Amino acid sequence: MKDRFDILLGVLLLACAVAVVGLLAGTGSQASQRDLAVDKALEQEIAYQAKVSFLERVYAPVLELRQQGQNESALLKLDELSRKYPTEAHGELLRGEILLQLGAKQKAISHLARAVRMNGDYVDRYSPLSRRELIDPLLARELADVKRQSAENPDSRPLKATLKDLYYLQGRMAGGCE
Amino acid sequence: MSLRITVCCFLVLLLAGCQGTAERPVMKIGYMNCNSEAETLARFRPLTKYLSDKLEIDFQAIPVDTQDFPERFAAGEFDFTHTNSLVYVIMRENQQLELVATEMRGNYGSRTAGAIIAKKGSGIETLQDIKGKRMIFGPQLAPSGFLAQYDLMLREGIDPEQDIAYYAIPSGSFKHEKVVYAVYFGDFDVAAAPALDLELMTKDGKITADDFVILGQSPIFPYCTFGARNDLDPALIKRFQQALVDLTDADTVDYQGETLKVLASAWIDGFETLQDSDYDYIREMAKRANMPPYQEF
Repeated sequence: MKDRFDILLGVLLLACAVAVVGLLAGTGSQASQRDLAVDKALEQEIAYQAKVSFLERVYAPVLELRQQGQNESALLKLDELSRKYPTEAHGELLRGEILLQLGAKQKAISHLARAVRMNGDYVDRYSPLSRRELIDPLLARELADVKRQSAENPDSRPLKATLKDLYYLQGRMAGGCE
Repeated sequence: MSLRITVCCFLVLLLAGCQGTAERPVMKIGYMNCNSEAETLARFRPLTKYLSDKLEIDFQAIPVDTQDFPERFAAGEFDFTHTNSLVYVIMRENQQLELVATEMRGNYGSRTAGAIIAKKGSGIETLQDIKGKRMIFGPQLAPSGFLAQYDLMLREGIDPEQDIAYYAIPSGSFKHEKVVYAVYFGDFDVAAAPALDLELMTKDGKITADDFVILGQSPIFPYCTFGARNDLDPALIKRFQQALVDLTDADTVDYQGETLKVLASAWIDGFETLQDSDYDYIREMAKRANMPPYQEF
């Protein structure tokens, strides 16, 4: 009788031990998954900040020239940098900004739209790269005008392209349904 | 019966043959030389062939010296013209040339600009510093290689005829590149360089942005331009214009046994339709600089 009771007690103790081990193991795994997720978010943030600081460093000469009012030289510096970084969206963005200041609106809009297509951060209000304060007034200023010009010149492919770029920028500024 | 059928077939074949060999109209396009006749023809013959195929007209490409262009056009040598924007204005004022389309190339698209440059570190930092210095210009009828800079200097109170120690224009071809190199290698202190050439030379790695100081640059104005004789059928001019503005990077032409990309072979990014009033800034510059078509002696 005593043996049976001992055996029952032993089985119960073993079951408890297994349950505790299982519980501990489960909690540990969740914690490690959470840690991993934190690590990944941190990695992404570090990578993003590194990219922003890299872009600032690479394009610093362009910004310096612009601050000195030398937009034409800044454009040449971009031409030079585009040999090394031909597909970098930031070069497209800066080219668009400079051309806008120099009065070449159509080309400026084309470069700005290309920059946003390549990197959505330029329309993200929380990104350090955000250019919403540039694009918003540009849309307000140009959209109606280009729409009118395009209607007056229905055969003009460049005007149609500019209008398409403006609509694209407008769509990206408005954002999706997320 | 079979004889009748044979005769009918013969007549049909004969007519079909006549239609196939019917000659297409022949028209001439005058192309302004940039560097040489050979280069002009190499650039523009594929585009000319493309236009011939599209419009079913045998267009002939005629290379023309810039200085001779207005006179030869006035003599009726060409039906269509491709020139820089100043020569367009001259022919527009004198022969009522019709505006067809404007070429797009480089950073400014269908526009361009003229810059005045000095070598970095030469001590010349502003436009006022160029007084008493040796300057080199591009060809005289070049809107972005001569007129824009001449006008820029006048607007800054610098008389190119009085305030510069000496100025020259290089001889031969590739004048725009020569003026840049003339400053780079120290033969001249200051140069009148087209913004497009600075851009292309930088992109090619021939120069760097740090080699020069841009002392001043003109506002942008229309680039090279296609025009048409004003007595041509407006429908033909419209078709010619449409063929140009419809061109994309992907369009090709079969030329001398090769399939070539039309725009790339002509060094052109595309075409745009502008208004003649878009050329008013060139008119203003030409008036201020006492240049054709407003020159007075």
